[in-house]
Amino acid sequence: MSQLDLTALPRPTKQPWQVRNPRNTWLVAGASVVPMFLAVVITLLTNIDATLATLLVFLPLQLIASIGVGQFIFGKKGRGDAILVIFTVFFSTLVGVLLVSVMFSVVVDGLKAMSPQFFGQNNHYISSTTSLEYGGVGHAILGTVLIVGLTTLFTIPLGILIAIYLTETRGRMRPTVRTLVQAISGLPSVVSGLFIYAFLIAPSFSAHGLTQQAGWVGSIALFPLMLPTVARIAEEALRLVPQELRNGAYALGAPAFKAFWQVTLPAAKSGLITAALLGVARIIGETAPLILTTAPSNDTNLNPFVGQIATLPTYLYGYINQVQATSQQRAWGAALVILILVFVLFTLARVLGSAKSTKAKKRK
Amino acid sequence: MSDIQDVTAEVPARRQLRTKPFSLADRLFYGITKSASSISVILVAAILLFLLSQSFATFQTQGFDFITGSQWNNAKGHEVFQIGPMLWGSVLISILGIIGGVPMAIAAAYFIEFMAPKPIAKVATVLVDLLAAMPSIVIGLWGLYVLTPVVAHWGSLLYGLHHVSMGPVNFDIPIFAMSDGSVPSTFSGSPFIAGWIVAVMIVPIITSVTREIFSQMDRDLINSALALGGSRSSVFMRVILPTASGGVTGGVLLGLGRALGETVAIFYVLNLVSDINWFNILQSKGGSVASLVLQKFGEGTPNEIKALMAAGLVLFVLTLLVNWLAAVIVNRAQPWRKI
Amino acid sequence: MENIATSASHLRSEDVNVWFGERHVLKNVSLNFPSNQVTALIGPSGCGKSTFLRTLNRMHELIPSAGFAGKVLLDGHDIYDHDVDPVDVRLNIGMVFQKPNPFPTMSIRENVLSGLKLTGRRGYNAAELVETSLRRASIWNEVKDRLNDPALSLSGGQQQRLCIARSLAMDPEVLLMDEPCSALDPGSTRRIEETITELSDSMTIVIVTHNMQQAQRVSHQTAFFLAEDGNPGRVVEFGKTDDVFNSPIDPRTNDYVNGHFG
Repeated sequence: MSQLDLTALPRPTKQPWQVRNPRNTWLVAGASVVPMFLAVVITLLTNIDATLATLLVFLPLQLIASIGVGQFIFGKKGRGDAILVIFTVFFSTLVGVLLVSVMFSVVVDGLKAMSPQFFGQNNHYISSTTSLEYGGVGHAILGTVLIVGLTTLFTIPLGILIAIYLTETRGRMRPTVRTLVQAISGLPSVVSGLFIYAFLIAPSFSAHGLTQQAGWVGSIALFPLMLPTVARIAEEALRLVPQELRNGAYALGAPAFKAFWQVTLPAAKSGLITAALLGVARIIGETAPLILTTAPSNDTNLNPFVGQIATLPTYLYGYINQVQATSQQRAWGAALVILILVFVLFTLARVLGSAKSTKAKKRK
Repeated sequence: MSDIQDVTAEVPARRQLRTKPFSLADRLFYGITKSASSISVILVAAILLFLLSQSFATFQTQGFDFITGSQWNNAKGHEVFQIGPMLWGSVLISILGIIGGVPMAIAAAYFIEFMAPKPIAKVATVLVDLLAAMPSIVIGLWGLYVLTPVVAHWGSLLYGLHHVSMGPVNFDIPIFAMSDGSVPSTFSGSPFIAGWIVAVMIVPIITSVTREIFSQMDRDLINSALALGGSRSSVFMRVILPTASGGVTGGVLLGLGRALGETVAIFYVLNLVSDINWFNILQSKGGSVASLVLQKFGEGTPNEIKALMAAGLVLFVLTLLVNWLAAVIVNRAQPWRKI
Repeated sequence: MENIATSASHLRSEDVNVWFGERHVLKNVSLNFPSNQVTALIGPSGCGKSTFLRTLNRMHELIPSAGFAGKVLLDGHDIYDHDVDPVDVRLNIGMVFQKPNPFPTMSIRENVLSGLKLTGRRGYNAAELVETSLRRASIWNEVKDRLNDPALSLSGGQQQRLCIARSLAMDPEVLLMDEPCSALDPGSTRRIEETITELSDSMTIVIVTHNMQQAQRVSHQTAFFLAEDGNPGRVVEFGKTDDVFNSPIDPRTNDYVNGHFG
C-alpha cells in the first residue's frame, strides 16, 4: 500500500473533515450534549450511580445520536466515523482524567505539606502524629542526591562508553553487547535489589554477609537499572551524527580518537547530556531496590558508605500506609518533591533535545 | 596515451586490511570502550550465574512444584517454597492491565496524532511522556488513596453482574464472582484494582510508543486515502492499524514487561494470598512475585532468600522473553527503530 | 596541456579490485595519475567510480565488509602495505565529498584549521594559513570579515569551498574530489572548477563527476567506468580528455559521452 504514489491525483482543496457548515456543527454538538443532558436528568431523578449513568445512558445515547448525525451529514461513511470518534474521545478522556488526576493529586496534596522546613529538616523526633510544622525530607533529599549521584558517577561514563563502542568502533562483540544491554533493561527493579541484597548483605558467602545495608549498596543496585537507559539514548544520540562528518575528519588524516573527540563528541554533546538526564530521571524514584539495600534513617547521613540513610522514595514508602493524616501528607509531600525532580530533569532533557533537533533541521 | 584495461587478466588475491589502529591514542580509545562494553557482558553473566547458583538448591528441593504449588512455609524442617499463586497473580494483573490499558493508549495516541488541535496535542505529548517517566511509588501512592476507592466502586458494580436473574434475563459471569461464594463488604485488595493501577502505569508507555509510530507514518498515504473518499474509520482500520500494528504490539509487550516486574505501585494495594486465584478478579486475594520478594526478604531465612532468588530468576526470564519478543516484532515491523 | 610545476606526487593504481562482502564491484582497475594533472572519472551511476576514488586514500576500508585487492602506489610506494598507517595515507591524500560536510560545531576559521588540530600538528601560523587556504579555495573575499561565524551560516557552495580549503590547509600531495559540485548551483560550480584548475599547479587531482562538460572543462585525462549486467565495474576507456570525448575507441564510451545512456 505504501508504494502507491497518489500525489499526482488532484486533491480536493478542502479535506473531507473540513466540510462543515453551521447546521452540521450544531447537529454534531447536539448529538453529544442532548444525551449528556438526558443522563444528568436521569441520574438526578432515579438516583442511580453516576458510573452506570455514563456507561448505560450517556454513552449508548451519544453513540446512537452521533451515528444518526453522521449518516445524515456524510452518508454511509459517517456512521463508522461516528463510532471511531466517540470511542477515541471516550478512551482519550479516560486517559486524560487518569493522568491529570495523578498530577493534580500529587500537586494539590503535596502542596499541603510544603513549607521551608519540609525541605530543610530531617525526620528526627518525628512520630506519625507530629504536626506538619515539624520535620521534613531534607535528609531524604540529601540521601537521594548522594546515592543517585554515586550511581551516576560510574554509570554515565560506562553507559556512554558502551554507546561509543556500539557506534564508533567495529568491535566484534557489538551484537552481543547490544543484546545484553537490552536484556538488562528488562531486569525487574526488585530483582536487581534482591540480587545485590543476596550478594552483599544476606549471609550467602559469609555468616554475616559481606556488608551491611548502606547507601553505596543502593547505588550498586540502581546501576543495572540506569545503565541500559543511558547506553540506549547515548547510542541514538551518536547515531544521529551524520557519517559524513566522521568521514570528513578521517579524510583529513585524523586518527579515530581525535575524530571522535573533536568532531563526533561535540556534535552529539546535547544528546549525550539528554541521555545522562533521562538516566537520572529513570532511577531517581526507584524504590524497591533501595528498600532491599539501604536501611531507612530519620537522621541526616552524609556518608553513603556507612550506616542508615534515607532517600525520597523510601521515605515516601515508609509513610505510604500510615493511617494518620499527617503521615499521609508527608508521603504526598515527598511524592511532590520526586515529581518536581523528575519534571526538572525531563524539561532540561527536552530543551536540550529540541535545541538539537532545530540544529539538525538547519543542516538540511 | 589511450590505454584499454586488460580485464581478462586474473584477479589478484584479496589483501588482508589491517583493522587494528596504529597510534597509541586509538588503541587506548578502542581498548577502553571495549572493556567498558565487556563489563555489561560480565554483568549479565554474573547476574544470571549468581541467580542460577542461588536458585539451584530451591529448584532441586522443590522441583516443578516450585512453579505450580501454592504453599510457602519457612519453618525449619517444614520448608516449602512454591510460587504458583504469585506467578499467576503477576500474569493475571498484567493481563488485566493490558486489557484496560491498550484501548486507552491507542485511542489516546490516535487522538493526539490525528484529531487534537496542535496546542492540545503538544501539551498532551509532554504530559504522557512525563508520566511515562513517573516513578512507580508515586503512582502507588495515588493508586492507594485516589484510584482504589473509585475502582472498588466499579468492582462493586461489576460484582452485581456475577449472577443476574431478572425475569427472563438469566446469566452468570463467573469472573466477577467470589471463589468461596461469600459476599464481600469491600472490594479492595483485588487483582482488578492492581490491574487498573498497572494499566495507568503502562498507558503512558504504550501511548508514547504508539504515538511515535503514528507520527512516523506517511501523511501523504493517509491524506491520499482520505482524499480518495475513504472515511476516518476505514482509514484507521485499513491503513493506520495494519501499518502500525507491529510497532504497537512491540510497545504493548514493552508495557507488559514493565507490568510483570512492577512492585511498589501495587504492594499496598494488593492482598497477597498464597492460594491461587485463577480468575475471580474482584476477590481480595491475589499474588505478585515482585511483591512476594518485598514481603519476605526482611525476615527471610537463608533458604527462603534462595527461594526468593529463584522466584526473581523466574520473573527475570519471563520479562526477558517478553522483551525479546517485543524487540523481534518491532525490528521486523520497523527495521529502522530499535528498542 | 603540460604543466611546468612538478612538485606534487604521482599516484598509480594497479589491478585494484573491490568487494563488498562477496559482491565483486570493481575489477582490475589500473590507472596512472601523473603529477599536476587533473583526472576525471566518469561513468553511469553504480559503476564503482566513487568506490574506486575511496580506495585511493583508504577511506574504502571504513565500510564494514569491504574487501580489496591490488595496489595503489604513491610515488612508487604501496599505500596498502602492512606497515602503512591509513591515517598517514589520508594526511597526504585529501578528499572532498559530494555533500559539503563542514564541522557544524566549529566556526569558519576553526574548520580551516580543523585538520591540523585533528592530526595534532603544531608550529604553524594560524592567521596566515587560514588566509592562504581560503584564498586558494577562492572563498577568502566572501568570508574574511566573518571568520568566527559558524560554518553552517554559509551557503551550500561556500560550505563546499570551505571544505576544499579545509583539505588544502593540510597541503596534500593529491586531492580526491567525489562529485564536489553535484549538490551546488551553477555559479558555485563555476567557482569550484576555477579553483580546481588553479590547484592543479600544485597538486595531483582526481575528480569523480557526472557532468560531461565539467570533465571536459577541468580535466587533462579521463577514465570511463562501466559496470555491465551485474558484472563488476571496470575501466572501459582511459586517455587524454580530448581523445575520450572526441574520438573514443570503444563504442560504449561514444554512446555515454554523447548522452545515449546513463
